[in-house]
Amino acid sequence: MAGEDDKDKVAAQAKAAGPKKIDRRDVLKGLSTVPALGLFGYAWYKQHQYQQATAQAAAGPAVAPGDLQEINVALLGAGAQGQVLTDAMLRIPGLRFRAVCDIWTEYNQKRVVNSMRKFKHEVNAYEDYREMLDKEKELDAVVIATPDFWHSQHAVDCLKAAKHVYCEKEMSNTLEGARAMVAAARESGKLLQIGHQRRSNPRYLHCYQKLLGEAKLLGRIVTVSGQWNRAVTPDLGAPDRYAIPEARLKQYGFKDMHQFRNWRWYKGLGGGPIVDLGSHQIDIYTWFLGVNPSHVMASGGQLYYDPKTHEWYDTAMVVFDYDTPAGPVKAYYQTQTTNGSLGYFENFMGDQGTLLISESEVHAAKVYRDTNAPAWDTWVQKGYVTAPKIQEVKEKDESAAVMDVRESVSPDEHKVPIVLRDPYHQPHLQNFFDAVRGKAKLNCPAEIGYESAVSVLKVNEAIEAKSRLSFTPEDFHI
Amino acid sequence: MEDGKLSRWPMIAITVMRVFVGWHFLYEGIAKLTSPSWSAAGYLKQARGPFAGLFKSLAAQPDLLANADLITMWGLTAVGVLLVLGLFTRIASLGGIGFILLFYLCNPPFVGYFYSIPTEGSYLIVNKNLVELGALVVILVTGSGRFAGFDRIVRALVGGRTRAAAA
Repeated sequence: MAGEDDKDKVAAQAKAAGPKKIDRRDVLKGLSTVPALGLFGYAWYKQHQYQQATAQAAAGPAVAPGDLQEINVALLGAGAQGQVLTDAMLRIPGLRFRAVCDIWTEYNQKRVVNSMRKFKHEVNAYEDYREMLDKEKELDAVVIATPDFWHSQHAVDCLKAAKHVYCEKEMSNTLEGARAMVAAARESGKLLQIGHQRRSNPRYLHCYQKLLGEAKLLGRIVTVSGQWNRAVTPDLGAPDRYAIPEARLKQYGFKDMHQFRNWRWYKGLGGGPIVDLGSHQIDIYTWFLGVNPSHVMASGGQLYYDPKTHEWYDTAMVVFDYDTPAGPVKAYYQTQTTNGSLGYFENFMGDQGTLLISESEVHAAKVYRDTNAPAWDTWVQKGYVTAPKIQEVKEKDESAAVMDVRESVSPDEHKVPIVLRDPYHQPHLQNFFDAVRGKAKLNCPAEIGYESAVSVLKVNEAIEAKSRLSFTPEDFHI
Repeated sequence: MEDGKLSRWPMIAITVMRVFVGWHFLYEGIAKLTSPSWSAAGYLKQARGPFAGLFKSLAAQPDLLANADLITMWGLTAVGVLLVLGLFTRIASLGGIGFILLFYLCNPPFVGYFYSIPTEGSYLIVNKNLVELGALVVILVTGSGRFAGFDRIVRALVGGRTRAAAA
């Protein structure tokens, strides 16, 4: 062993002596990186605290759950939208889920029941909503996210059973259905909130109340444009092993599993993209302009998808007329389902400025001050809008075109500093439950949902009629 | 390569690297676990290269996607803890290499490919994923856990018994 140092001699002796024992060096070296894990834990704890603090600061003052009267809730319709609403409701304090009802007992019902159980809500599962209403006597409220053609019957029966109802938009696929819902809400004296959730979104409320109402930043609004462009999406499928038996599908009004999964595209069941997507935004046109439309013309068609399985128009381009107290307004809206570029937004254009607003964080909300408008310094100081973004001029940009003297100078861009950090539907659901407790007024009661349905359902009529249709004030009155 | 063939300072350097890589895995895992809305869907949907079809079909099937999300979140966390502690270092390194290889193949930085997620850095063929993969290969072949890590204790216990049984 010549040439080896002392350490190796020791090791060799230890080996020769028999089984190796753990010495102090093994333990020290073995545990030498454990402090790194401790350091990680500390850093993560700090990071977590920071994230919670920023989220809390954004959410505003929280109400202690102890002070809340608990509301017993059932979910009727546990599909994709039912799941979205559930995820939002699980974040709202003071709710106790009692029941879930869905005819797809093999799949959707199980999924939502499981996600509620994860949050310690012991819920009963039902296939038939009437059985649920019979058995669940202690329910205070029912949240409805079934296909549109079921909304009316579901909401009316729940209201008659003395439950408060939150019903997804579109309120109904027929105006008779929507009228029955308004009547049932009035007769029962119970609340009926329609799921046009932008009406409770803090960004929309800020723009409506502060920017348009108080500051009147846009001046006189003359034109509006908006869109929901959605990329091509394949039809929804379902694994064979989870298929609903045919008899049950028929019992609930579906031809087959494909129609059950893709009901939005079928006449008599849903209303197509203009209703699914457009109704949210056309509702904002009406809300921000303060009046219902007077006329509508529209063009659309089945341009892309198989018309046998896509009975509604995949593309719709619409122009509404509004007679506002300030003067006439033209409002364009398009929805198409074959290209997702620029996503979705609403754009209000006045003689002093432009408001581009979206539920999506991609666009969020921006206001552009036209050069002829008075300075907005006051509103920047009040924090209603951010300071304008400085428009950088690249002098050496060879590609820059020479500006024509007739062209307007680009307006300053201000951002609207309101960010919703909760799921999109949470504030609207919160508003509903606050109203159930008597602490708020509904932001979208049945009457407003009805007005919106009148405007939106007429678009499909106008496409079919290939002519300009008019509304009378009585159309919106109920 | 058996540990002991490298001298003290290289082994310390490799151990520090192991802790860094482990830390990164651990936080990638925990950040995903604690973010209620995290899903691999966006990353999978923008897949490019020879396996793009496979990754995209994974993103299109909710059942499979949910499993892939779970495996990613918990897998990254587990690999991270094991690497920091130097416990089962070789298995953890192999696991980490597997994950990174999948990430790399899903969004390979080949000539002419551009991605929206993530948005930092400039890469051609070699990106940080591949560098981290290289680091894990070094950790794997040098058995850094046996130099400084729980593996040293494990080997002393198990190795001792094996020799005793042989003797």
